[in-house]
Amino acid sequence: METDGETNQESGKLEFSLDVPFPSAREASIALRSLSPDREPRKGGITKHLTVAGSTLSVRWSADEARILRVSVNSFLDHLKLVLETMEMFGPPVDL
Amino acid sequence: MTVVIGFEGSANKIGIGIIRDGEVLSNPRRTYITPPGQGFMPSDTARHHRAVILTVLKEALEQAGLKPADIDCVAYTKGPGMGAPLVTVALVARTVAQLWGKPLLGVNHCIGHIEMGRLITKANNPTVLYVSGGNTQVIAYSERRYRIFGETIDIAVGNCLDRFARVIKISNDPSPGYNIEQMAKKGSQYVELPYTVKGMDVSFSGILSYIEEAANKMLSSGQCTAEDLCFSLQETVFSMLVEITERAMAHCGSQEVLIVGGVGCNLRLQEMMGVMCQERGAKLFATDERFCIDNGAMIAQAGWEMFRSGQVTELEDSWITQRYRTDEVEVTWRD
Repeated sequence: METDGETNQESGKLEFSLDVPFPSAREASIALRSLSPDREPRKGGITKHLTVAGSTLSVRWSADEARILRVSVNSFLDHLKLVLETMEMFGPPVDL
Repeated sequence: MTVVIGFEGSANKIGIGIIRDGEVLSNPRRTYITPPGQGFMPSDTARHHRAVILTVLKEALEQAGLKPADIDCVAYTKGPGMGAPLVTVALVARTVAQLWGKPLLGVNHCIGHIEMGRLITKANNPTVLYVSGGNTQVIAYSERRYRIFGETIDIAVGNCLDRFARVIKISNDPSPGYNIEQMAKKGSQYVELPYTVKGMDVSFSGILSYIEEAANKMLSSGQCTAEDLCFSLQETVFSMLVEITERAMAHCGSQEVLIVGGVGCNLRLQEMMGVMCQERGAKLFATDERFCIDNGAMIAQAGWEMFRSGQVTELEDSWITQRYRTDEVEVTWRD
């Protein structure tokens, strides 16, 4: 898992990124679709963008305040952990 | 045969149940119990659910003797409820639905209670009193909706009981309401409390403030006991609920009452409702704690009805919602 965080000099926003490798593209896509539907609880001040390329799930955050960014990243990590544990216990995915 | 697995975790209970054509195959549940004087907070409750949900899922499958391949549909609570616990449960439901290649179905929690009550009691077309820690509604079915005839205008009746329990440090194990019910049996003196029925609606926040103050004064001066207060609170709030239920029955010409929700397993409430029903020549239906209190099978049962009538929820649309009124759902499975 790779992470990166910095302040964007142009927009003044705090940015954070996370790349999570999965065993296969299918599993990365399942994680994406499980983690995507719920909106951020707070309106404004933060955006979170999830994408999949190959078997890697990538998340990009952009936030006004470090406090809001930390809460969102923490909560995402809790959710990600639960999805990974679910895959471990009840996977691998069946053939479609 | 249609087999549906239901995931519920909108409050402090996490439950997963499996239903096959009206038969409950398994329904394991865990409750997050806080120390006396404390309520359950969303993030702590979500942490509890995250820690146990996969074990509960394993139990549900093992007790039912089923493999994931035997399941036709994965139902979960879409709302209403606390955000963080709802998300926890939805995440696992979405993930297993994809791993197993099954359709997903988001269920309204209140509809789950109603459909489970109808399944267990065989009530045909009852006036429903839905009473829990988060909801208080009188509901009747008409024209493809469960319509709300009356409801609380502030806090739920169960929330009033739970918070009173916190004030006088009654244990939350197994639930504050159960312990109030046991203490109320030993109460002998009726302390008069505000009685706040407003048309078809009820209000509990004023009663709570009043009894909180009364508890502080009267208990320290020995004017009454904690048992007397439990007794008085139950008699007052349950009378209010019976009154609005009776009025809804008169409006609808209904001869059946179904009590659902966590407060619905209170035997004193059932007894009072039974007296009213007897006077009107009506029939009372209620269930015990297995099905009254939040559980997974109720979500599976509502999901079963919805799935059989052709509904599914696409993953993109599977977001949870803290507010989701009973009458927002089109009832596609009843005439």
